[in-house]
Amino acid sequence: MRRKRDEGYEVLIPRAIANELLDEPRKYAEEIKVASPALASKILNSVETVNTAIKQGLIKVETVNYRKYSEIIDNVRKHLSQLEAKPEHTVKKGDPELITLMIQLYDKSREKVLFSTKDKGLLKALKPFEKRVEFEVLESI
Amino acid sequence: MAERTISILKSIGNPNKARMIAHLAKHRGESAEDLSRHLGYPLPTVYKYLRELEAARMVECEVKDRTQLYYPGNFELVVSPEKLMEMLEGEGVVDVYKARFGDEGMEHLKEVFEKVKAGNMTFRQAASTLGITYYELVSLLDETGAVNE
Repeated sequence: MRRKRDEGYEVLIPRAIANELLDEPRKYAEEIKVASPALASKILNSVETVNTAIKQGLIKVETVNYRKYSEIIDNVRKHLSQLEAKPEHTVKKGDPELITLMIQLYDKSREKVLFSTKDKGLLKALKPFEKRVEFEVLESI
Repeated sequence: MAERTISILKSIGNPNKARMIAHLAKHRGESAEDLSRHLGYPLPTVYKYLRELEAARMVECEVKDRTQLYYPGNFELVVSPEKLMEMLEGEGVVDVYKARFGDEGMEHLKEVFEKVKAGNMTFRQAASTLGITYYELVSLLDETGAVNE
């Protein structure tokens, strides 16, 4: 990540994903700490690593402009709910926010957005938006 | 700590990667092209190894005059039967999941992972289907090696 920053890249995540990386594991560690103290402590250590990376500016938490991109968010949510034939409210916030953030960044910079994921389903969900955003998938950062 | 040791073991298990680290220990600050030339490995292979070694924090990269230069990482490996037992027998996220959802839950997990691997479900959809957090899902995928297959 330091290298990417040195090369002039910014590593950005939307707020919903920051919560998934910080709040959810903290809660999980709290739930299992009595039965599995070693695992809970390992999880909290990894949370601290992410937290430090955010504090040091290696990862920037970006806010999605809900007002401007409400239609995109709705479309992503609709698309994902149709894939699994599930109600829209069950779609977790991370996927729509991530795709929307990519579009938002592209609209702002008009430069190709680099996207790092191992989630093939998310890449499929991104397909219908290929005309809205120019992106390249990285294996890892 | 266990993951770190395992990733070091995996990398060291490949003699070409081990040779690359040894070469960087002697000739610090070489580029991928230098490594390819000196060791005789094709450049795409060198890039692949460097990516993996960087992910395992066994090499470090610095950009100088727009060139990426590689250095050996700071690591030490101590292996003993006791250490391996400690590493591999420790409880993981899979054990916690199994204790919570039982054998039936494990079957459900396998079915969902198949959909995830085929790209028919996002990680978050899988988490939602299983009734767990995204973090648990990613940890389960990582621990079982499902996404790296």
